[in-house]
Amino acid sequence: MTENGSTTRQLDVRGTPVQLRSDGDGPPLLFLHGAGAGGRWLSFQDALARRFTVIGPTHPGHGGSPPAEWIEEVTDLAFLYLDLLDTLGLDRVHLVGASLGGWIAAEMAVMASSRLRSLVLIDPVGIKVEGWIYPFLFGMQVPEVVATIFHRPEAALALAPSDQSLDTLVELFRQNAALARVSWNPYLYNPRLRRRLGRIAVPTLLAWGEHDRLAPLVCADAWGKEIPAARLVTFARSGHVPHLEEPEAVAAAVVEFCAAADAGP
Amino acid sequence: MKFYYFHLMPYVMDHDEPSSWVTLSNRHYDPVVGQTLYHQYLDQLEYAEALGWDGICVNEHHQNCYGTMPSPNVMAAMLVRRTSRAKIAILGNGLPLRENPLRVAEEIAMLDVVSGGRVISGFVRGIGPEYFSLGVNPTHSRERFYEAAELILRAWTEDGPFPFDGRFYRYPYVNPWPRPLQRPHPPVWCPSQGSTETVEWAARRRFPYLMVFTPIKRIAQVYAEYREACERHGYTASRYQLTVNLPIVVAETDAKARDIAREHALWVYHVGLRMLPPFYQPPGYVTEPSLRRLLTTRPKLPTELTFEDLDEGGYIICGSPATVRDKLRVFADELRAGIVCSGMNGGSHEKTLEMMELFAREVMPHFREDAHVDETVGVGR
Repeated sequence: MTENGSTTRQLDVRGTPVQLRSDGDGPPLLFLHGAGAGGRWLSFQDALARRFTVIGPTHPGHGGSPPAEWIEEVTDLAFLYLDLLDTLGLDRVHLVGASLGGWIAAEMAVMASSRLRSLVLIDPVGIKVEGWIYPFLFGMQVPEVVATIFHRPEAALALAPSDQSLDTLVELFRQNAALARVSWNPYLYNPRLRRRLGRIAVPTLLAWGEHDRLAPLVCADAWGKEIPAARLVTFARSGHVPHLEEPEAVAAAVVEFCAAADAGP
Repeated sequence: MKFYYFHLMPYVMDHDEPSSWVTLSNRHYDPVVGQTLYHQYLDQLEYAEALGWDGICVNEHHQNCYGTMPSPNVMAAMLVRRTSRAKIAILGNGLPLRENPLRVAEEIAMLDVVSGGRVISGFVRGIGPEYFSLGVNPTHSRERFYEAAELILRAWTEDGPFPFDGRFYRYPYVNPWPRPLQRPHPPVWCPSQGSTETVEWAARRRFPYLMVFTPIKRIAQVYAEYREACERHGYTASRYQLTVNLPIVVAETDAKARDIAREHALWVYHVGLRMLPPFYQPPGYVTEPSLRRLLTTRPKLPTELTFEDLDEGGYIICGSPATVRDKLRVFADELRAGIVCSGMNGGSHEKTLEMMELFAREVMPHFREDAHVDETVGVGR
């Protein structure tokens, strides 16, 4: 299947079916989406595909990937995507993750940073930050979720469901359940992860929306403190999802960062 | 037919908040008022035994004004020593909400021993908002429920100590003292709203199924599914396995009963069960087939039900003693429900007691063909 130039296929990752979209040429870049963005190929991915081979799996339970019973924690997703690298025969990749995808990416990086050329975390969740408790999205109605995630609510339209059909509603419920399964309690973090972040030994970019109300800049400071070589870049017109709110600017920063990592010190 | 008196122990209040659950601030709870209410409610339950009810029921709900019994076992403990004949039905303990369900096995056994074997032990999953209030992952709800039930039943029936190594609950030594008095264990009931999976599970285990706050058409459907499942498992359901939670309003005349119901019975639906949409169905709480059925049939939310819906739909029974008898006949003869669990609300403590007296005098004696039968023999275990 081809859409906006990207191709979609089903992959078997050590027995777990995963839908994979990919596009572009150049060094491989694995992009891990956030909650609610499964199976969507947006202008951010298009922009990255101009310089990299962008590989975008859909998390189990989201979009075209069926739920996987064995996935109980975000670390399970990290192992799944390390297995995916093996399945695809990829040695070292640029790894980019947004929000939940950033959390998964960080877990992968602490497990096997030797598999990475660089790491980009866009407003990740996943660690406990003193003085901050992530607002409980599961208890919110849609307008409140949108106000929490987006600085510009109109950017949320990119993620709006295509219709209100029975199948769509069931798919949304399934996706929410997949998210809840790994993040309901502790909510949006792994208590073990923060201590491990010091193991990340690749160039790391923290890309952050300045108006993030889910994981505000105080969280960026905490990540920056733990990851030895992290650099922080912020986006003034974005909330929690700068890659959706300022796709061109975020993609440009990512491309520049990854290209520099490829050029090496 | 057997009659059980059911209590929610509500903190009746009016408010304009969007939800009576999870987010309604507990600053609205006045403990001085609460003290009076608890005593009135316990008096009502004790009076039910004196008036001839066969059982009295308590239940578990958390962090709301709808029902102020976060621990039904605490309430049952108060009733055990103040009653001597009635069954005490705990409907039920929210098993997945417990971090340590072995405590349920212990507490129920204590109550069963002290009461001389009068305890009925309901097993429930707890409703949607309770997963928000207690932080339990709703996607684990069903598996935790089955695993905790298995643990408790084994703890009651097998000689300890034995190890238990489940996915959610693990113990090197299961060996609760005391053991329950009833053999092999206190009857287990499943209060539920008709999910296919729960009906199947209850029928297989011979656990009575209690329909809670559902229209009569749906009750008939679920009873049929339950009876069919029992046949499939090789036995015919006893009528005491088919139970219903049915609020009753009785007064001298139909008109008077309707006025009381409009003023007081509606509160449960319009205020007590008001909640934000996300709380109704937490992620993963129901299976996809159940979700599809809900989305297809789109049953009305409690807040959308009018008095006419409740009265004509058979969610409640309301009327003069003669009318109540006629309507109850439908449950006894057509649905063949063996046990009716009913709460009453006359608008004040005194008027509630009067309503209970009227029911005990004018309605109950007409349904006593089975007065000599013990409804718990061979049922629920």
